[in-house]
Amino acid sequence: MTADATGEATGDATRGHGRFGTDAPPPQGPFPPTEAMLSEPVPGDVARAQEDRLRRVWKTPEGWRYFSDVNNTSVGRWYCLTAFFFMLCAGVLALLMRLQLAVPGNDLLSADRFNQFFTLHGSAMMFLFAVPIFEAVSILILPALLGARDLPFPRLSAYGYWCFLIGGIFVMGSVLFDVAPRSGWFMYPPLATEDEGIGSDIWLLGLSFIEVASIAAAVELIVGVLKCRPPGMRVNLMPLYAWYVLVVGGMILFAFPPLIAGDLLFELERSLDWPFFDAARGGDPVLWQHLFWIFGHPEVYIVFLPSIALAAMIVPTAARRPILGYSWIVLSAVGTGFLSFGLWVHHMFTTGLPTLSLGFFSAASEAVVIPTGVQLFAFVATLMAGRVKMSLPMLWIAGALAIFTAGGLTGVMVAIAPFDWQVHDTYFIVAHLHYTLFGGMVFPVIGGVYYFFPVITGKELSNRLGRWAFWLIFAGFNLAFLPMHLTGLKGMPRRVFTYPGDLGLNWLNLVSTVASFVIAAGFAVFLWDLLRPKGSRRTPRNPYDAGTLEWSQSPEGETWGVRSIPYIHTRYPLWQQERILERMDAGRYYLPDAEAGQRETIITSVIDARPLQVLRLSGPTWVTMLAALFTGGTFILPTFKMYAPALICGVLAAMTVLYWLWTATARIPERETVDAGLGLKLPVYVSGSGSVGWWAMWITMLGDSTAFASLVFGVFFYWTARSDYPPPGSDHADPWLAGAALAAALLSWGLTLVARGLNRRRRRGARLALAAALPATMAAGAALFYALRLPGLDPVTHVYPASMWVLVVWAGAHLGLGLVMQGYCLAGLTFGRITPRHDAPMWNVSLYWHFLALTMLVTVATLAVVPRVM
Amino acid sequence: MIDDPTLEQEQEFAEEEASLIKLTFGPLIWAAHFVLSYGAAAVVCAKFPAAIAPLRWAIAGVTLPALAGILWLAWLAWRQWDFFDRDESHDRSGERRHEFLGQAAFLLTVPSFIGTVYTALPALFAGTCR
Repeated sequence: MTADATGEATGDATRGHGRFGTDAPPPQGPFPPTEAMLSEPVPGDVARAQEDRLRRVWKTPEGWRYFSDVNNTSVGRWYCLTAFFFMLCAGVLALLMRLQLAVPGNDLLSADRFNQFFTLHGSAMMFLFAVPIFEAVSILILPALLGARDLPFPRLSAYGYWCFLIGGIFVMGSVLFDVAPRSGWFMYPPLATEDEGIGSDIWLLGLSFIEVASIAAAVELIVGVLKCRPPGMRVNLMPLYAWYVLVVGGMILFAFPPLIAGDLLFELERSLDWPFFDAARGGDPVLWQHLFWIFGHPEVYIVFLPSIALAAMIVPTAARRPILGYSWIVLSAVGTGFLSFGLWVHHMFTTGLPTLSLGFFSAASEAVVIPTGVQLFAFVATLMAGRVKMSLPMLWIAGALAIFTAGGLTGVMVAIAPFDWQVHDTYFIVAHLHYTLFGGMVFPVIGGVYYFFPVITGKELSNRLGRWAFWLIFAGFNLAFLPMHLTGLKGMPRRVFTYPGDLGLNWLNLVSTVASFVIAAGFAVFLWDLLRPKGSRRTPRNPYDAGTLEWSQSPEGETWGVRSIPYIHTRYPLWQQERILERMDAGRYYLPDAEAGQRETIITSVIDARPLQVLRLSGPTWVTMLAALFTGGTFILPTFKMYAPALICGVLAAMTVLYWLWTATARIPERETVDAGLGLKLPVYVSGSGSVGWWAMWITMLGDSTAFASLVFGVFFYWTARSDYPPPGSDHADPWLAGAALAAALLSWGLTLVARGLNRRRRRGARLALAAALPATMAAGAALFYALRLPGLDPVTHVYPASMWVLVVWAGAHLGLGLVMQGYCLAGLTFGRITPRHDAPMWNVSLYWHFLALTMLVTVATLAVVPRVM
Repeated sequence: MIDDPTLEQEQEFAEEEASLIKLTFGPLIWAAHFVLSYGAAAVVCAKFPAAIAPLRWAIAGVTLPALAGILWLAWLAWRQWDFFDRDESHDRSGERRHEFLGQAAFLLTVPSFIGTVYTALPALFAGTCR
């Protein structure tokens, strides 16, 4: 046993290997690498040949084919620019609203148009800018922070982007045709459900589509952080940004699904007249408020945390020292993530809930201040302990801290229910939320753009223009929004298109309007700086002298990311690991080559980042764009009541996705192991819990189960909120048919597991078991349907049958998906795409069926047992 | 081989698969306590508004074990953190990660504890659902 560069024992890479379902050859060779191994030079001709191969493999497609690219750098750039474009559109809406409010009794905008504008302003800023920009920036820089070549599912990122673009244009474009949603960004029923016209449908369907894309991005980013770290980067060495991505990804999984469930109920009421929010037929509009804000409040932190994560990267660089209180910041990220789920009712303080309930949420709203404050103190402490170099990015972060703190203080005020009753729905709230969002999101993101611009483009933004932009936006912001606290306290309500001239509000509103144009001027300067031609001269590598790995990106516009993937044993490798850059560039570390002619990156273990696998990544393709187009059709066409074309689009989308999976995922490699560099041999094909696909399925199903749980929550909510749920004398689901549905589903689940086991043990009968599972799945679906159909439960009459039917629709759709998956595995076995050794799809499908079995169990219990007890 | 201190420690702190999940146990207790308190209050106030006294006792009955659980987790995490052992000789090894996870878990129990106390306060002071 020898000692490596770190003083750590060098052992065998096989250790710690042994996950269930993994049949891959174990990693072989020394790990961690010794200092002697790292000091050995790479011969020049070898290095040049490797570079040629890498360059060829990672080449960005040219001409119009550029848009078939799936690499994180291309997709991330499109994503950022698109989100920024939508922000500018929403900003223009804000300016027009401010013009309308400049003087009392103004008639620049009609009341209806004003309603459309504030609805779209809020919706676009949240769904088309704040959340997507997190995904965009993370897709762009996370691989660089981790020294990875790309994220594990590049095509999924591209698919998510195209979905976002299509959905965003659809929602944003509606304002040009005077049909935009107009019931406020939270779409409260009954105003929104009863709204004539297609505005509410555009909001529901267009944004649901984007929410699905957000969940896809969350899956990608979580797996990226857990499995794509460079060898040796243990969890306690991760860049803080990665911690935040992990927390925010987890929050998206639990926050977005309730909204998707709510959207489903809402759209069923709009299109099929199922009375979920109609009080006359047993429904309750407050359920929507619950589902919306269970999403909506964590959303605020989903927006805030990744932006403050940018500050956590910029502050140590500016202070020129490692962050103080790394563990404290991890605490605050995780703690904020949790507590933010206990705050949602503070948006509903005026709905007449029991004061005791209000007290719980008021308490949690005050408690969240603790973790939020801790990270700000950690930043301040780092700055005090370091030798600060006041760079331009740091200026934006300083502005952010000042504004966010002010927003946080008014937040503490409105978290007290009696105070909230006074200022609810006034401009005080408008001021509060803009202070938190500008300070917690806009300023850090712009600071992040200035900071990371050289990493992304190799160019620098102008220092002078950046300072102009900062002072214009900072001064304009405070001038526009500080007076609004007073406007609100004097009683001016939100979302009303004008105000009378004798309330003492005139000069306050005029100041806000004038200042809003100062903000706009600042953004214009920033936009010009971003887009102006910057010449061909590249900035030196690492201009801010930062310590983290993203600054090791290869110079001269190479698209391979890093020349070789380093061994990491410090938090700030560029500061703390000698000669690391030189060795990375020389190709001394891992994966310096692309011998197989395919894009590859290293997969490591979750806690200690031991190398486990060389993952083959998929390259440029049009199939993601096509899949997004068809998915878009499926969501967008129902807005115009074109159900048949929507159905056709849905089928085409499913077929495109199946083609994509069949041709590009879990391909059987030509060799079982490849040389990963430094004497390490790693498997290429891994199935079961060691594979990234299995992790992605697990994480997706977690989100899926949250949506299902929200529907079940609805049933219990109606029971507590209404005395007529279920209505006396009502029919219930047929218990025998429901039981039969459960039995058939459990049989199908068991057969799927049996098929996996038989295949793995090279026995006969795997295909037979799967073939038998197919009719069992269909029987389960049919029995479930008739369990409600036969007693004649009509979903239009009352919310009770409707809430039962929606569970059946949900479970039925999942049975359908499970059926397709079983068919996919059957085809894979038949055509040799799945072998006893290469059976990743079987493991992933089994995992899906575990969740489906649970869904069926809960559905049948809620259908057949619970109402009889109620 | 076991007298090789580095190897011994590598074995002791070998990959803790569940340790990332363990971080969340403190906040999870807070969440469970929160959901139970809120759920109980919602059901009691909607269906049996007269039963406020038993509800307050029930919340107290949930709060005490929750706080005890958080304190117990904090004690375990404190030991894992090993605050008073500042021996830097095994720097940068598995033990560092082990102690980091202990420290983070310990720190997380602090807001969990405070959050749980905060949640219980309304039940302590509010004598009615209205």
